[in-house]
Amino acid sequence: MARIAIVGAGPSGCYLAQALLKALPDAEINILDRLPCPYGLVRYGVAPDHQGTKGVIRQFERLFERQGVAFFGGVTLGRDITLEALQAAHNAVVLATGLSDDRRLGIPGEDLPGVIGAGRLTRAWNDHPDAEGDEPPLGRRVVIMGNGNVAIDLLRLLAKDDAEFDGSDLSSARSRAIVAAGVESIEVIGRGSAEQARFDPVMLRELGKLGAARISVIEAHGEGKVVEALQAIDGHAPAGARRSVTFRFGWTPRALLGDTRLEVAQFVASDGSGAELRLECDSFLTAIGFEGGEDLGRPALLTGASEDGALAPGLYAAGWFRRGPRGTIPENRQDAQLVASRIAADLSGLGSVRPGREALARQLPQAVSYAGWQRIDEAERAASPPTRCRQKIPSMSRMLEIARNEAGARPTDTASQKGER
Amino acid sequence: MQIAILYGTETGNAEMLAEDIAAHLDAEHEASVSNLADFDPADFRPGVLHVIVCSTYGDGELPASAQPFAERMAAAQPDLSGIVFAVFGMGDSEYSETFNHGGKRMEEIMTAGGATMVGARVTHDASGDDLPDDLALPWIDEVLALAEAALDRAA
Repeated sequence: MARIAIVGAGPSGCYLAQALLKALPDAEINILDRLPCPYGLVRYGVAPDHQGTKGVIRQFERLFERQGVAFFGGVTLGRDITLEALQAAHNAVVLATGLSDDRRLGIPGEDLPGVIGAGRLTRAWNDHPDAEGDEPPLGRRVVIMGNGNVAIDLLRLLAKDDAEFDGSDLSSARSRAIVAAGVESIEVIGRGSAEQARFDPVMLRELGKLGAARISVIEAHGEGKVVEALQAIDGHAPAGARRSVTFRFGWTPRALLGDTRLEVAQFVASDGSGAELRLECDSFLTAIGFEGGEDLGRPALLTGASEDGALAPGLYAAGWFRRGPRGTIPENRQDAQLVASRIAADLSGLGSVRPGREALARQLPQAVSYAGWQRIDEAERAASPPTRCRQKIPSMSRMLEIARNEAGARPTDTASQKGER
Repeated sequence: MQIAILYGTETGNAEMLAEDIAAHLDAEHEASVSNLADFDPADFRPGVLHVIVCSTYGDGELPASAQPFAERMAAAQPDLSGIVFAVFGMGDSEYSETFNHGGKRMEEIMTAGGATMVGARVTHDASGDDLPDDLALPWIDEVLALAEAALDRAA
């Protein structure tokens, strides 16, 4: 029987497990994650007011609840277990840890207080345990640099009123803090033209429903669905709007200025005309992509990687870790199917026997099981106020405490954990 | 009854629902599940109930796995008279204008060829409170009751 470990329980790792089980129904699959909870960016990246998009979680729950996949949460590769140990216990190991660091602009002033990466902000708003206690100050005038869907998510969350978060899982404390920031103007700046923007036109049109924000779009020329959607929302002006949203295109950030904190963002026209733009602002949000994976040696690992995700014998990569920070949930599903067929082909006619789950359970007695995650899930749903669908637990130690609660009540927990799996 | 369940999916949600419907019917019927991407328009059979489970993607478009099917149907324009089908759609009411477009498009494609729809076209809302199965399983039971008569008439 093939035993496969997937590092990273986000959408790529989960889709990969799903595709592997179609190709190799008897395979033993163990998914590890740094956090005590699965689902990665579906939980912590997909916006809290896009609960429909999070519906894919039902597919992933099935992996653990019916299809025999085991979850080892709260496990950091390289700290709690080495890659070598993981490989020794499995026939294949797949790195699907994603990319979580904000890409840097590479301009002066980037480290001033008030310059905030989209990843950091998104983690804070989504109550990611890494962002516990992090309350990035926004101020009244916000600039968002970037022309992708992350920029739209940031803008939408900043532009909404508290009541527009009904049914979401944005915590009341976070939504109050966003409203209390008193944001009055939001400038969304793209380096390229409107035609080149990577916005999803559907997400742009959704902005036309904002109840408290005026929208104006400057210089959206050209053709295509994105330009059409931008033109469609231009001039949106609900009665009693309290903030303004402005889209501008073709500006390259040159410097961020300020004495002790950010005061001005300086741009130069991307077309080489020499035109300049100065925006006074209290915060500058960068939504220009993600990077990372250096801790796992990503650049070296990807050198010589095959088109379908093989890094070295028995070692594979999937998702953003493999392809870079591009692509939505469906694209990662396709990617996972591609990598899964490669792994399935490599593992056919497999001879060697590996200890798999049994070795993991022995080496990682503190790992959070799927049942442990279910206790967190239940606690979060139970704590939800009526206007929300969930109240996430923002603290790692509290999550671990709840996850291990049952184990704490039963001293011989190794046996019971095995039973759960 | 012979039931061919065909799914059009982008994220896998419609595929999972198609499999759940098949599992629900399995004890009493002969149910198969196919991806619309792999389904040939020449494979529609009289005497079989075709259940199409189809999501909606992007700007009200068909999901990726239904698009090649729609293209083949447009090219082949098969005569589907005597073919019986039902449609269960999936969408997200956050995008209210296009919420049910995937299922609607599939209904249009099938009726354009002269096929007969049984039951109401229902759309699951990803932003609603119901799970897809909670809507789809009672729905398929109703469809089966209606399909029996329709298949008899078609035969």
